[in-house]
Amino acid sequence: MRRWLTGPVGAMVLVLALMSLAMIVAGTSPVDGFRALIVGALGGRNEIGETLVATSALLFPSLGVALAFRAGLFNIGAEGQLLIGALLAGAAGAQMHNAPWIAIVTMLVLGAIGGGVWGAIAGFMRARFGASEIISTLMLNFVAADFALALVNGPLKGPLATGAETAWLVPQYWMPTLLPQTRLSIGILIAIAIAIVLQWVLSRTVFGFELRACGDAPEAARRSGINIGRLTWIALSLSGAIAGVGGATIVAGELHRFNTQLSPGYGFTAIAVALVGDLQPLWICVAAFGFGILESGGLAMQAAAQVPKDAIHVIEGLIILVLAARRYVATRAEGTV
Amino acid sequence: MTGSAALELRGIRKAYPGIVAVDDVDLTLYAGEIHALVGENGAGKSTLAGIAAGERAADAGTVTAAGTVGLVHQHFELVQRLRVWENVLLGREPRKGMEIDAAAARAHVLDLAQRNGLQIEPDAAVESLPVGVQQRVELLRELDRNPAVLLLDEPTAALAPAEIASFFATIVQLAQRGTAVLIVTHKLQEVIDYATRITVMRHGRVVERMRTGETTVDAIARAMVGGELPVVAQRRPTQPRPCLRVRMPELTLDVNGGEIVGIAGVEGNGQTALVDVIAGLANAEGIVEIDAGDRPNLGIIPQDRQTEALVMTWPVVDNVILGRQSILRHGATIDRARAIADAQQIEKQYDVRAASLKTPIRALSGGNQQKVVVGRALIDDPALIVAYNPTRGIDVGAAALVQSRLIEARNRGAAVLLVSFELDEIFALADRILVMYRGGIVGEIDARDDGARAEVGRLMAGAR
Repeated sequence: MRRWLTGPVGAMVLVLALMSLAMIVAGTSPVDGFRALIVGALGGRNEIGETLVATSALLFPSLGVALAFRAGLFNIGAEGQLLIGALLAGAAGAQMHNAPWIAIVTMLVLGAIGGGVWGAIAGFMRARFGASEIISTLMLNFVAADFALALVNGPLKGPLATGAETAWLVPQYWMPTLLPQTRLSIGILIAIAIAIVLQWVLSRTVFGFELRACGDAPEAARRSGINIGRLTWIALSLSGAIAGVGGATIVAGELHRFNTQLSPGYGFTAIAVALVGDLQPLWICVAAFGFGILESGGLAMQAAAQVPKDAIHVIEGLIILVLAARRYVATRAEGTV
Repeated sequence: MTGSAALELRGIRKAYPGIVAVDDVDLTLYAGEIHALVGENGAGKSTLAGIAAGERAADAGTVTAAGTVGLVHQHFELVQRLRVWENVLLGREPRKGMEIDAAAARAHVLDLAQRNGLQIEPDAAVESLPVGVQQRVELLRELDRNPAVLLLDEPTAALAPAEIASFFATIVQLAQRGTAVLIVTHKLQEVIDYATRITVMRHGRVVERMRTGETTVDAIARAMVGGELPVVAQRRPTQPRPCLRVRMPELTLDVNGGEIVGIAGVEGNGQTALVDVIAGLANAEGIVEIDAGDRPNLGIIPQDRQTEALVMTWPVVDNVILGRQSILRHGATIDRARAIADAQQIEKQYDVRAASLKTPIRALSGGNQQKVVVGRALIDDPALIVAYNPTRGIDVGAAALVQSRLIEARNRGAAVLLVSFELDEIFALADRILVMYRGGIVGEIDARDDGARAEVGRLMAGAR
């Protein structure tokens, strides 16, 4: 019973309940509100494409956040890691003259490296100096945003660009489209593949075992001979790398250039997605799809049901709050028996 | 000597999910008596004490007290960074305007300590004090509320023999002045020495009520267990071969394969640091060498199973894997089939009572959890076993089983380093006894010598 309440199904029920409440407060019947949301998100080929684009963009950083979470680390910096990954991919993609598949793979690898380095900085600071990764990953978001802004306003600015963005990728370097006549690229398949691998790593491998031990009982993990410092920076590096690949897929798959506005906060929403997915990669895929619906159907809902799109962000905030509190209460209640 | 009823418990019942911790218990404490509440772990003693003190609510029954009820916990609840007087008066500080009247508070605490014959330094930081003194602070905090009833949960668990005597001198004095004292303990000799009446609990129920003049330690122990006492395995002759060699500035230690070396000492005299250095978890000046031959190096039974040995939310099987990843590694993955076989073997050899090996280990009793910890440390037949308070807080049956497995490992040629705060355990298991005091080894005693116990007690208190 308790498992059901704390698990992913309970979390999703909670999301729906909160949304219904927001709609009632806004003076709309939840039935109308949800109908507008679903039609807006899944009502046609283009809508489905956009929903899956958002799903994909959320899934990468969510998996990264979940990986860190399982190691007991709060990575609040997926946004910055995603941005640096995208920046590196975009900067390289605009300069390259290789075969298309080499260029695309290079962009993805550079995305992973960029995000990974960004995560590793926080990991190193935590492992070496004991600096809280919550603060450092959060702060590195600002560093990443300003760093990217400085570069795309200066040396990396595309010759024809009007805003803060790099030059466009040549069309041969665009990642193949998955759903014809939409913006959806094969990036989402990469995200799902990462989720499957991550699920396997966490449940079956020695590395995943040690990672979970660090997260669930750090002192017992340390005493069993696990090198916690090493695991901390590896976990944050991998966490950042996954978010960074996500940034690269947005550049190579949807936007076809790097733009400082490329993420409307995917890295932050990812925290809610990871929690709703109960930190289990396969459930996170489901949760990301749900949040993708919110992201892409939100505007339609606003128009049809007068629920402001911003209400969705309020709900996301509430979800983080409630799920974090509930996890705490559940572990405490069970701990006393 | 005893007067009117100071505390009356009638029909107390308390259930937790899956277990009735206290079942229809009646207990009366009279002013001026020292009453011992004994029973195995999980018998419901601490729960009952918590209910009597009003710290937790009973599901049924009534508690009637003739005044304040004070409870001194087994694990002290002191603010380590505050001073002694600040802890004693926490929440009841005398005020002068908006500020705490420090001078008045200090004087009050000093006076309180003197009236009760307890020596303390009111300005000392609690974190700098030895355990015995911290306990005095905890006791003073309760005494300041002038309790009619004083409940003490395992009060001597962390004290040296000399400290225990002075502690009981205080308690006897309190009782003579009319306080009703209830001592929850598992040290039966202390019960015989100081208590007047004894209540024995088993599985949440009161099974016997005794008077100290009319009973013996063995009789109490049998009542606690509900039958005959379990027998511990026999030591067999072994061929000693050098295994552990520790050379540090203030500490020299050798443990041979085929022997159990007991480290006696009061808690907080460097035992934890020694264990950590041997386990490779802390650095120290000096040499630590383990000659393991062809066996795995080391099996460790940490002191605190809940935080140091187990991941409480994980299944039994996963806890059997923890620390053995390199042994169970199969490529990048863990050999689950072998881990399950190992867990089944431990379950069988140690009589682990678990609904299933997939059950989260926190659902098991403390004794069963400890069996898993010990089984895991011994299953790969390591050359050296470090056992740090291996039977702390577990019932007599589980303790006998754990001790038997340690002796069997010794008989098979393992070197066993037993670090324990329980002298009884050291004398029951060790071939040689070393006494640790302020980070160093201050003496070695042959357990079979006459007067060995007294000598160990003397050394533990710092005598040279």
